[in-house]
Amino acid sequence: MSELQKIVLAEDNSLLSSLLKFRLEKEGYKLLIADNGKKAIELIEEHKPELILTDIMMPFISGLEVISHVRYKLNMLTPIIVFSAAGQEEIVLKAFNLGATDFMSKPFSPNELVIRIKRLLR
Amino acid sequence: MNNEQSFFEYLQNSPPIIELVWLMISIFLLSIFISIIYLKYLRSHLRNNERIRGTYQMKYELNLITYLYSGNEDQEISPQQQIIINKLKKDLSDPFKRSIIVLTLLKLKNEISGELDESIQKLYFQTGLINFAISKLRSKKWYVVAKGVRELTQFHIKEVHDEVITLINHPKNEVRKEMQLYLVNLFSFKGLDFLDLLQTPLSEWDQIQLLEVLQRFDDQQVFDIKPWLKSSNDTVVIFALKLADIYIQFQAKEDLIELLAHKNEKIRIELLNVLGNLNIIVAKSIVMSNFSECSQEEQIAFFKMMEKMPESDDEPFLLEYIHHENFEIKLSALKNLKMINSSTFNIHKHLGTDPDFIRIVEFLEHN
Amino acid sequence: MEINTIEIFLVIRYIFFVYAITTIGSYIVLAIISATETIAYMKKNSFVNYKEILSSTIAPSISIIAPAYNESLNIIENVRSLLSNHYVNYDVIIVNDGSKDDSLEKLIKAYDLIKVDFLVNEQIPTKPLRAGIFKSTNPAFEKLIVVDKENGGKADALNTGLNLSNNKYVACIDVDCLLLEEALQKMVKPFLESTDTKVIAAGGVIRIANSCIIKDGKLIDVNLPKKMLEKGQILEYIRAFLLGRMAWSRLNGLLVISGAFGMFDKKIAIEVGGYDTKTVGEDMEIIVRMRGFMEEQKEKYKVAYIPDPLCWTEAPDNYKIFISQRNRWTRGTIETLRKHRKIGFNRKYRSMGLLSYPYWLFFERLAPLIEVLGLLYFGILVALKQVRWDYTAAFIIMAYLFTVLFSIVAILSEELTYHQYKKKGIGFNLLKIAFLEPFAVHPFIVYSAVVGNIDYYFNKKKKWGEMTRKGMTNTEKK
Repeated sequence: MSELQKIVLAEDNSLLSSLLKFRLEKEGYKLLIADNGKKAIELIEEHKPELILTDIMMPFISGLEVISHVRYKLNMLTPIIVFSAAGQEEIVLKAFNLGATDFMSKPFSPNELVIRIKRLLR
Repeated sequence: MNNEQSFFEYLQNSPPIIELVWLMISIFLLSIFISIIYLKYLRSHLRNNERIRGTYQMKYELNLITYLYSGNEDQEISPQQQIIINKLKKDLSDPFKRSIIVLTLLKLKNEISGELDESIQKLYFQTGLINFAISKLRSKKWYVVAKGVRELTQFHIKEVHDEVITLINHPKNEVRKEMQLYLVNLFSFKGLDFLDLLQTPLSEWDQIQLLEVLQRFDDQQVFDIKPWLKSSNDTVVIFALKLADIYIQFQAKEDLIELLAHKNEKIRIELLNVLGNLNIIVAKSIVMSNFSECSQEEQIAFFKMMEKMPESDDEPFLLEYIHHENFEIKLSALKNLKMINSSTFNIHKHLGTDPDFIRIVEFLEHN
Repeated sequence: MEINTIEIFLVIRYIFFVYAITTIGSYIVLAIISATETIAYMKKNSFVNYKEILSSTIAPSISIIAPAYNESLNIIENVRSLLSNHYVNYDVIIVNDGSKDDSLEKLIKAYDLIKVDFLVNEQIPTKPLRAGIFKSTNPAFEKLIVVDKENGGKADALNTGLNLSNNKYVACIDVDCLLLEEALQKMVKPFLESTDTKVIAAGGVIRIANSCIIKDGKLIDVNLPKKMLEKGQILEYIRAFLLGRMAWSRLNGLLVISGAFGMFDKKIAIEVGGYDTKTVGEDMEIIVRMRGFMEEQKEKYKVAYIPDPLCWTEAPDNYKIFISQRNRWTRGTIETLRKHRKIGFNRKYRSMGLLSYPYWLFFERLAPLIEVLGLLYFGILVALKQVRWDYTAAFIIMAYLFTVLFSIVAILSEELTYHQYKKKGIGFNLLKIAFLEPFAVHPFIVYSAVVGNIDYYFNKKKKWGEMTRKGMTNTEKK
């Protein structure tokens, strides 16, 4: 069996990230958790994950900056799924302009997230 | 002993002012002493609380995740889930632990939907947490009532609608606010009916919160802003205008135009913005006809509105204002002019001498 | 002749006594008012969910205006921290006030800035631009605007920001302040909540960040610094913000909001002419002027106050800088009170003229002078062998105990509300400061106030030197 596919998850709600970690590891992915944008960038640079999940509103470095860093500074094509809160349509547009692959609006269903991840990592 | 006696003697022989000073000294000393003891108690109490809170929080988070992932498809509630429900139930009698449990549930509830969300909901009912929230509604303390309503909103408990609606005229602003949020969060546009009855002002903060909630609903089902546009409560009128803007209530066109004669300037200014966004062109000639009577702020708002619906007919009107003393009016008039007829703009751009005019023209030529 | 001198002594003694008693009385009253207001505030805000409004695009727009003078060392990090606020509808205007270092170059490089065409409605006259106005090409930093202008002092830089801002509210801050992420929505709340009263400005609390651990623009750990001077200031700030200003906000009598973090209704700030570039106390002066303006308009208005610890900044950690900072504050107060003396004791200005102004004059402006006069008078009495030492001792003990008690009440109120100093042992430490501060720090405050008075009346040159540099608390300390 090949090595597990790695996913970096940047999310400041610890409960949500442990829930998703639990769920996604059951699906056979390796999860790397960051609770802020800066740590997410460090993890991305170090582990070169197959997929990135990031919240938009995060302390210090926002999700937007994570996307822009991945696309323009690291020149990586890794798929990125953004989590946004309701009413952040404008920011979501910006995220897409920066190169986000997909977005999910909070509250979202973890099952749906799994389906989207599977599609992207097929 | 001796010392003490002589001190009292000394005091008795002192002038009253010195007696007073010594009295103050003893009061201050005593207060300092009590405060220090209280401070010591308070600090260790707070520190312990925090530590305990952390431990419980971790415990409940773990409980919750296990609960969520130990469901199965055959049973409503799996045996493992029942164990956790029973465990939590035991902790509910302690208000401190109860509040941590509620917070833990909410921490996740706000972020996820679907099956897991339903499971959390089930947990809220099964543990009996809901009963505690409902009993808060009957409290004598207003902030307890407000907190109760908030919790019921967060857990989407539609069943208590009739009880919550009785708070519509609660004397405390915060309680009314929570009630309004409850209605809109749970019943979306239908919940706005309270606006018909609202006597108290709806602050901008309240309005933003309500609009934020409404934006989460996709069903932009029919709602009629017309009665609210006619409300005697000015804040309701402004709120209705914001609704008209966001939900493009073009069918209220006639009522909106009527509002141009409203006595409240704030409403008229907000209205001009909305009319521009809805592209209601007829409004232009109405305002133009008594433009000179408008306040400067209204005039600026009107020019901003004109920018949103430029028409070549406006040229003569605009030309009157390109040399207006107000920077914003001048800028808007020139910008608009350039949009509708660049050759007229090019003729007139050389005809101004004041520095602002020149700067504006220069800027418009580059952009 | 003999009798006359005795009478004079008696009168003087009474003046001092009455002053002391009113001071104590006013502090007690302020503490009580502050307690009721704090309780009301905590209840009201205990269940507000700020998350619901922070992401709203309908929420009104805010500009953060931060003047910078030779801040090259930390400017990149500071700007980043300002850009990470959890409010959506805001921009950050960094006004580089003629810095002589490489601040601008650093900003251009770090944030991919390019020069842009920007039409400024110059409603307040300011010093001209130098390199111009810059914005980022990276959409992630689209909130950032950098203005490079010729040096004109802090007030002038803030005015440039006011001219530039297209937003309804402006938050004026020191660039090296650490703002918590929820700072903007908490500050803007009073403006949006009020329906019948116009909120013209809102002031925040300044907390001292010395020895605190700040990582990635976030406050990680709150510590108590080691030096007596720093600790003394912490206690002083807690007293001033949690007891003093809280009470004055209840009375709607705030005459100053801290220059390090305050929010304004931009329209009114511009209408009164912006910041005064001729004073070293521009933060107090603008509030007094805005209030005066509103009183003259006979409009119902309020200066709001947010007691939450939202803004953290470094305080001077050596006596030299501390003294020069307080010296400047003293002169700022004198200038403002003198400039607006028509307000004082004027019934037309209602409580502002009859309560706030006199209080500031007697208990803030004159307190250090009266203290020194008292000492001089005491010296004379000693020389004349007129002193009843036992009475003196009683008075001194009373005054000292009251000071200590007031500090402890302030500490208690901090514990009951925000409880920022959580670590074990700090409680004892704070108590120790309450007892020691009257000897260790207070004399320096009085000393700098007196020097400030002397500088104000006899040394006008000093002021101008400062104004063109930066006249800021923070330049000197780094």
